[in-house]
Amino acid sequence: MKRELITALSLTATVLVVAYISTLGGGLGPLFSDTRPLAKVFLSTTLDPNKPMFTAMSPEGVTAIVWDYRGLDTLFETAVFYLAIIGAVAVYRDVSEKVVLKGGGVGLSKIVKLVTKLLIPMNIAIAISIALHGHLTPGGGFQAGAAMAVVPMILIVVFSRYFLLEVKISKGLALALRSIGLIGIAFTVFLPIIIALISGVNSYIMQNQVKFGAPFSFPAFFGDSLISGSLILYNLFELLAVTFGFSILFLLLSIEESLVKEQMGGEGSEH
Amino acid sequence: MSTDLDLFLANVSLISLLAIIGISLYGILARPNIIKKIIALTIFTDAANLLAILVGFRRPPSAPPVLLNLQPSPSEIAEFSSTAVDPLPQALVLTAVVIGMAVNMLIIFIALQLYRLYGTLDVRKVRRLRG
Repeated sequence: MKRELITALSLTATVLVVAYISTLGGGLGPLFSDTRPLAKVFLSTTLDPNKPMFTAMSPEGVTAIVWDYRGLDTLFETAVFYLAIIGAVAVYRDVSEKVVLKGGGVGLSKIVKLVTKLLIPMNIAIAISIALHGHLTPGGGFQAGAAMAVVPMILIVVFSRYFLLEVKISKGLALALRSIGLIGIAFTVFLPIIIALISGVNSYIMQNQVKFGAPFSFPAFFGDSLISGSLILYNLFELLAVTFGFSILFLLLSIEESLVKEQMGGEGSEH
Repeated sequence: MSTDLDLFLANVSLISLLAIIGISLYGILARPNIIKKIIALTIFTDAANLLAILVGFRRPPSAPPVLLNLQPSPSEIAEFSSTAVDPLPQALVLTAVVIGMAVNMLIIFIALQLYRLYGTLDVRKVRRLRG
């Protein structure tokens, strides 16, 4: 106990001393005092109707970078997400989800169940509004998906795993909905190319607004409201992909351990 | 005086983040238990993300990278781009957080499988059981 205290104190003292010395030198001053030129380019073009060739038509700089300026980055990050979940599903490949309803699940008490019933619609509404306003206010598909993924987790904890089977929320359904999200993202990525091939103009992959020599553009306005072209589509499809990607993992993790061992039976002796 | 204090606090957060990265690397490399390795890995991820956000930060007067006016005039855009914080690290971190969670889940699944097959989470014992 005493040793840990001494370690913690000496570490804190080292950090403070090094920070004080570097403050005297003033070495890190320029790091926090000015906006970088690259950031200025992003910030000055994120919503500027007077520069139609450069703008992303979204007042939210972060979403504009995520799905427009550096869209391919995000596309491949989504691929990493997809592969991580496929890997987890592959670990469970031998385990069938058809759990025997041994007496069924009971779940938590009536009070908890009632409060959860009231809270879950609000949670879903908040997640969808985070996704739908992702191009206007801080938020977007990833955050909305993380907020929405709480719902299946709470359902498993409060109502038990068997309740989800009864209302037909299975691994297969989650996989299908996640695939719909991913296909939607891929469709939005290739839509400019398809339209360009049909109408005989040029366009780029993941193009959002008009670019030089590529007159294709997603509509920036729907009626009077700003929808920022493809950004709202990407956010909605990413919401689907992230929500049901995490749902698959929670559903797999909550299968009873004894049932998993039963189904894997004898595999341990091979290693 | 106040700018010196600002700079000192920024330096403290930067250097403590570097210290946290060092400690979590020690945890990943030296602890034999896989669960402790995973905990150290998540601390490492969070410290790296926070470091990226800190690099994008700028001293006041600063604003979030969100335009409040949907029909901005050129002068508003010029003011916005000279006061807002750098949005690029935030964009990178927001995807990294969610992807990091998925990758953590994959690692946890593998650790769970390892426990089912070997009956232990100690890396040394798992190595001894092999072959």
